Amino acid sequence: MIKVRIPTPLRPMTGGKGELEIAGNTVSEIIDNLGSAHPGIKERLYDEQGEVRRFINIYVNEEDIRFLTGKETPLKDGDEVSIIPAIAGGS
Amino acid sequence: MLNIPSGIIQSMIEHARELAPHECCGILSGNEGTIAEYYRITNILANMSEQELTRFDGAKLSDLQRLSPEERADIAFQMDAREMAMAQRDIRSKGLALLGFYHSHTFSPARPSQTDITIAMEFESYRAKLNFPEPVHLIVSLEHADQPVVRAYQIQEARATEIPIRTLP
Repeated sequence: MIKVRIPTPLRPMTGGKGELEIAGNTVSEIIDNLGSAHPGIKERLYDEQGEVRRFINIYVNEEDIRFLTGKETPLKDGDEVSIIPAIAGGS
Repeated sequence: MLNIPSGIIQSMIEHARELAPHECCGILSGNEGTIAEYYRITNILANMSEQELTRFDGAKLSDLQRLSPEERADIAFQMDAREMAMAQRDIRSKGLALLGFYHSHTFSPARPSQTDITIAMEFESYRAKLNFPEPVHLIVSLEHADQPVVRAYQIQEARATEIPIRTLP
């Protein structure tokens, strides 16, 4: 099982949980399984083309998946996936 | 105390002026309280769909929904995640640390808004787990166009505390 960290804005969709244990061998499988367990969450992470939205970083441990092998990045027991929106703000 | 070369302060002000009335945003790297480099990051807010705005909190979200996409970028920013990740990789490769973030307030003073504080606290809840150091938050105000103001803040426990800036030659 892989520990998945859910960002604050998506926690209403996970019953308030900030960390979940999800099965999967790749980041893509984790997101699919996360989406099956919590409907609607996958659409918040992927755009209409199925790519990670432009304001979301997904890290495996401490590395962004864009510098690994993207959504196909393989995972092993003990890895941690963190879904983190890039910094924003407003006046 | 935060040490910033005067060239970087000027560059952030230029960035804010170039993008006005949109807000600009970027990342600062360095070591031990001294900024060494800055990275301009695209504010993608004007290109975000209505559905993607839901990461903003209640009051800000209502304000954003009332505006056209172009106008939204006048009162808020969203960093491009890919550019942010690339900047972080470059920072690491140079043996520096991510020291902070900057953005502009086109029409308001150089102090964090409630939205800035809420999102900084959200970031705070992740960053230790990813081994990011605690960031400073810089704001460039163009409220008085001929007298831009740059101030730095530490945001902890939902409170912003100003950090004095020492300008380096």
